[in-house]
Amino acid sequence: MNVIYLLIPLGLGLLALSIWAYFWAVRSGQFDDLDSPGVQILLDDDRAPPPAAPDSRDA
Amino acid sequence: MSEPALTSSRCFHCGSPLAAATSFAVRVGGTEQPVCCAGCEAAANLILSQGLERFYEFRELPGEPVAGGMHNWAAFDREAALRRYTHECAGGERELSLQIEGLHCAACAWLIETSLRSEAGVRQIQVNASTARAELRFDPRATALSRLLSRIHALGFVPLPLSFVGDAAEGTAERRAALKRLGVAGLGMMQVTTYAVSLYAGFMQGIAPDLEQFLRFVSLVVATPVVLYSAQPFFISAWRSLLVRRPGMDVPVALSIGAAWLWSVVSTLRGRGAVYFDSVVMFTFFLLLGRYVEMSLRHRAGLQHDALARLLPDSTLRLSGLQAERVTPDELRAADRVRILPGERVPADGRIESGSTDVDESLLTGESAPRVRRTGDELTAGTLNLTGVIEMTVTRVGQDSTLAAVSRLLERARGSRPAVADLADHVAAYFVTGVLLLATGVALYWLHADPTRAFGTVLAVLVVTCPCALSLATPAALAAATTRLARAGVLVTRGRALERLAAADRILFDKTGTLTLGTPRLEGVVMLEPRLTAAQSLSVAAALESRSGHPLARAFAHLTPGAQLSEVRSVAGRGIEGVIEGRRYRIGRMEFVLEGCAHAGITVTDDPGHTSVVLGDAAGLLAEFHLTDVLRSDARDTIQRLAALGLAAGIASGDRTGPVAAAARQLGNVAASANLSADGKLALVRALRAEGHRVVMVGDGVNDAPVLAAADVSVAIAGGTELAKVSADLILLGEGLSPLASAVGTSRRLLRVIRQNLAWAVLYNLTAVPLAASGLVEPWMAALGMSTSSLLVVLNAMRLLDRGAGRSTAQPAPLTQVVHA
Repeated sequence: MNVIYLLIPLGLGLLALSIWAYFWAVRSGQFDDLDSPGVQILLDDDRAPPPAAPDSRDA
Repeated sequence: MSEPALTSSRCFHCGSPLAAATSFAVRVGGTEQPVCCAGCEAAANLILSQGLERFYEFRELPGEPVAGGMHNWAAFDREAALRRYTHECAGGERELSLQIEGLHCAACAWLIETSLRSEAGVRQIQVNASTARAELRFDPRATALSRLLSRIHALGFVPLPLSFVGDAAEGTAERRAALKRLGVAGLGMMQVTTYAVSLYAGFMQGIAPDLEQFLRFVSLVVATPVVLYSAQPFFISAWRSLLVRRPGMDVPVALSIGAAWLWSVVSTLRGRGAVYFDSVVMFTFFLLLGRYVEMSLRHRAGLQHDALARLLPDSTLRLSGLQAERVTPDELRAADRVRILPGERVPADGRIESGSTDVDESLLTGESAPRVRRTGDELTAGTLNLTGVIEMTVTRVGQDSTLAAVSRLLERARGSRPAVADLADHVAAYFVTGVLLLATGVALYWLHADPTRAFGTVLAVLVVTCPCALSLATPAALAAATTRLARAGVLVTRGRALERLAAADRILFDKTGTLTLGTPRLEGVVMLEPRLTAAQSLSVAAALESRSGHPLARAFAHLTPGAQLSEVRSVAGRGIEGVIEGRRYRIGRMEFVLEGCAHAGITVTDDPGHTSVVLGDAAGLLAEFHLTDVLRSDARDTIQRLAALGLAAGIASGDRTGPVAAAARQLGNVAASANLSADGKLALVRALRAEGHRVVMVGDGVNDAPVLAAADVSVAIAGGTELAKVSADLILLGEGLSPLASAVGTSRRLLRVIRQNLAWAVLYNLTAVPLAASGLVEPWMAALGMSTSSLLVVLNAMRLLDRGAGRSTAQPAPLTQVVHA
């Protein structure tokens, strides 16, 4: 069971690392909007929208 | 005589039902789709011309009708406004935050982002669908801010620049701090629970003492940041509530988190005694989760923004000498002169210097019919100038203005809402006192009997009486119920209102805009003379009304104005006159039209159930148009479902007796009171409450706001005014009223779950205390029991979440079908 004395501190190290990574993610705004990104991947096609043409009223 | 053909379809853009034949349409993928008005047509065309039609497939709620109203964003291009609303970043670029009205889902956010990115000068745009905020960075040398704002407006949304000194960053900061606390508690909980499982296994099967000590020590290391960092808000709020001598639920929470942690630390350092790190951490995590859900709902409703400020126009025309310049309303000072064009809102309180006009004062009076205002009359900020050009001297701004007074009145009404006995807080108050008395008693006893054991025993009592389950009982259930309701189309802004909703037995509806759609519709045309066909008369009427800002004119908005119009003249409160193809027509009130006739022939009598508009020319009356405000399609059904749930419905309206009685008849003879002012509605609600009824008030207007604040539960319609939404406990998203009935059902189940949870928590504590005091419970059993009882309460609350029934019925009609049709 002595391996636990090595594994648990290692786990604590990982915990500290993940908390740091999580804080970084929160600070950089990745959790600010949890709704849009999930849909955005469906919406954004690679085709660039045509340049603004506000007056093209063809209908 | 002719009736416009009725179609049951909905507007492609905004989803409002098309009651009459519309001549507006857009071409989507080769098929014509009908839209309701010119505003929606323009927005849909703009979206389609940019290749963004996928927006219509992915949005969750239909949009709002695009108001053709006037927005003049030019004032935001001025240096003073730029300084106020934006801040400068590197390279001369400017950054600002916008609150976006009408933004409901991720698809809306995508639409705005994609469309704006194609504008020259836009460096960065990020739209947050959860908070309806946009962060925009642009280059003022390449584009004007007004151009970007009008682009957003053209898409069918209303952008509101937030002043930079204000609250733009506040919500984000609060949200991020809460997320960090929650994350630390969650990660900590996972770790500590693993160690705890090993320790529990060790109790049962035996464990090497040094290993046990090691595991306890590791738990201490992980749990300590959770207590000191994540649980901080509980300690702070408990301390504050003690300072004002109103101990709430946070006091026992803070006390038990603190005591259990302290006790565990002491045990760990001494090497004997029980540790409760797992319970402490789990408890903290679940409580924080509940608070986080609550906070997200609050932010989502966008309630932090000053609702009254939104009633003011974006800009106004200030006159100085001979010059006129566009300024934002907050730049106005008393004695300034402003010019207000038709369709603009009044920017400040003032007195008319010249001109006369119709003013929509429904904001203050609740009366939908406009008032005529002439030179010398007073105007109130936020009211809408409908027909004439007027010049006004500003008399009051800011804190002195009528709007500010309304806001103070509202605060008072809200503050004086009678505190309905809140079960958990009630229990909490007794609980705190009980626990403290018990602990003091135990301390006194042991100080006499055996002073060395006094400290340990007092701590033991505090730990065992940990009100984990008790304090989780209500928030966990509330969080589950609000999530469930949000899916069903009801936004809960004050969770506690759900408990009151469950007990309600009366429900009062405002009529205009709540039971009805709030926009007049053309019901029928009566031809009075054969000189024109019905189609011709409609086209003449549409041409004339297209120049009018009067609310009734919206009934003609779906028709294409057929002919060229000249010499237009609108007369405040009476009607509009214009020349088409050489003939002079008048439309409006009967007297007005008759004045323009050489000889008055036929006249028509006023039918109280209808509102009529008459068209005539110099030779006499031509046609009469019947306008009505149609009921929402699910109003009758909802009222019946509510009646089945034991809620008797009533109408409280500021409208005239005729239309109110007609609506009451159509809804199945519900009780109705007409001609009520805001005060009258307030009196009605108070009278009902005095009879012992629990009253729900459903409304949409600003005049409803005080009533909403006074009712036991207040419900606002999403399309209603901001002020009504701020005063409301519940907001109905989407077009229908039907989610109301599901909300009542959910609130009753919520109350049942809360009672079960409280009963369990009290039972647990009552059993555990004497057992622990008499030494019959092993420490690990106590700790395990504490965690299990908390988990049980949380799981019981989760039952509110799933039960798919009711969810599908409440959701707005999916618009995808339309696209693929």
